[in-house]
Amino acid sequence: MKTNLNIITFCRIKNHSISINGKEVIQKDSQLTFSEFAKLVYKEKAFAYPKFFKMDNLSKLGFLASEFLFEKADLDAHIKENIGIVLSNKSASLDTDRKYQETINDKANYFPSPAVFVYTLANIMIGEISIKHQIKGENAFFVSDKFNELLLEQYTVSLIQNKKSSHVLCGWIDVDKDKYDAFMYLVAKEGTQNYSKEIIKNIYTTN
Amino acid sequence: MSQNRVAITGMGIISSIGNTIEENLHALLNSKKGVAPIVNINTRHKNKIKVGEVLQTNAELAKSLNLDKNNNYSRTALLGCIAAQQAVKHANIKDIEALKTGLISSTSVGGMDLTEKHFQNYNSESRRLINSHHAADSTEKIAALLGITDFTSTISTACSSAANAIILGARLIKSGQLDRVIVGGTDGLAKFTINGFKTLMILSDTDCTPFDANRKGLNLGEAAAYLVLESDAVVKQDNKTVLGYLAGYGNANDAFHQTASSENGEGAFLAMSKALKIAELNPIDINYINAHGTATPNNDLSEGKAIKRIYGDSVPDFSSTKAFTGHTLAAAGAIEAVYSILALQNDVMFPNLNFKTAIPELSMVPITEVTKKPLNYVLSNSFGFGGNCSTLIFSKGL
Repeated sequence: MKTNLNIITFCRIKNHSISINGKEVIQKDSQLTFSEFAKLVYKEKAFAYPKFFKMDNLSKLGFLASEFLFEKADLDAHIKENIGIVLSNKSASLDTDRKYQETINDKANYFPSPAVFVYTLANIMIGEISIKHQIKGENAFFVSDKFNELLLEQYTVSLIQNKKSSHVLCGWIDVDKDKYDAFMYLVAKEGTQNYSKEIIKNIYTTN
Repeated sequence: MSQNRVAITGMGIISSIGNTIEENLHALLNSKKGVAPIVNINTRHKNKIKVGEVLQTNAELAKSLNLDKNNNYSRTALLGCIAAQQAVKHANIKDIEALKTGLISSTSVGGMDLTEKHFQNYNSESRRLINSHHAADSTEKIAALLGITDFTSTISTACSSAANAIILGARLIKSGQLDRVIVGGTDGLAKFTINGFKTLMILSDTDCTPFDANRKGLNLGEAAAYLVLESDAVVKQDNKTVLGYLAGYGNANDAFHQTASSENGEGAFLAMSKALKIAELNPIDINYINAHGTATPNNDLSEGKAIKRIYGDSVPDFSSTKAFTGHTLAAAGAIEAVYSILALQNDVMFPNLNFKTAIPELSMVPITEVTKKPLNYVLSNSFGFGGNCSTLIFSKGL
């Protein structure tokens, strides 16, 4: 049984640039750190979600991508509630793991914080997106060497075919020190831009 | 629905209130709690906490499994092996390979008890023991003991882990992937867990008092319990005795906070609603709720509110058995599944020990004495950190 699925919208954040459906909407100074870049975007868009400032960089990146994506897709709350989320990356939460490790390395200077510790799991990013958008569908987070279009397709198709979700938020959100890369897309039966693992790989590679 | 039923044909348990099903039932019927000062672990908190401890050392547990002296079994694996072995025996399984059989086991602490003993002075001996650290190690050891090769999986979703292992097993049976599956969970006590919960400031220095207005937090416990789930076809073919059925299940998240449960019990409400829907039951059909009831301020209020959202002021009889066993984390969903089946088999509800005063916002009063009543459906809740909420509904094995 083959289900025809479509890409409703996609968002890319890399090199201090944000694009939606292939069209650049924000470009900032390449000298900024990721935190500075993220803060600038947050202020410019006036997101008004103070919890953003408590998030680690991975969650901030996922948060920003999802904000742009949902702004464009403009879904009803009842659709949002059942969205499935399948995200992936290479570095898991290593960026924050290192920061947390620094707080416990030295017995003389020992200052672990639960507020940092909570981000030493990559799927906390899914939690942050779910909390912001009140999403209660199935979710999974995968760690792989590179963008795995096949794995993401299998999970997405399964969620939609089994009627667990009508829409699935997928993507690759990676942060490691100063390097970051976000590619997030929304898949559903509706829409006009055909979805397949080849098409999404092509969009990921060329955008 | 009838051809898809998931039957429970065997159970095994080891907890602070007994080493067998019979001992656990006897303790529940005689209000004999397992919560007491800690014995096996030398912790600096020993005068400030009470725990539900299995009063056998690792060496004693290993001996009962006929393990070599140089084994690298963590406490989690030892408890798990004992309970799973009992379940298989109870289900009267002679040849495990005769049917497509799986094992889904849950744990939160894994082999941490061995790791922490060697954490400060790592040596060549540590290397052998640290191989038992990861969560799947206990599952692999149980699978090897039972001879299960078709399917194994390990689930770690905090305190709802074992309920989720049961749910996954039921789904694999329903979809025809497996004929039979052993499901449950195991967690041994470790300093890691004690210190972690101490840091969260949710450990009570007294016997815990679920659903009481003056509750001060939880008591930790250790335990393992497993159920044998079999498809209706297997039950017919092998003429098996059915102890009960898993009639419904639900898992939901809160979308509220990384660790805490939402104040209005959204996740718990969704989990119970989903389970009722799958069981094709109305809320009123539930005769008894074995609540999660950890006795933390957050859980009991949130769970109570969720129950009230479903039932209004006509809440069915309910109790938490945590004051007997302590909160056994990744084993809790499985030991309470065993208690739910025992309740159905014996038409009896177990007391919520140490309860005095209802929580003012809820005015909910649990069952506080052993109470006989005909039971057809028992609902059991297990909620984990991060709002991972699961509900199981069991029915009588007619």
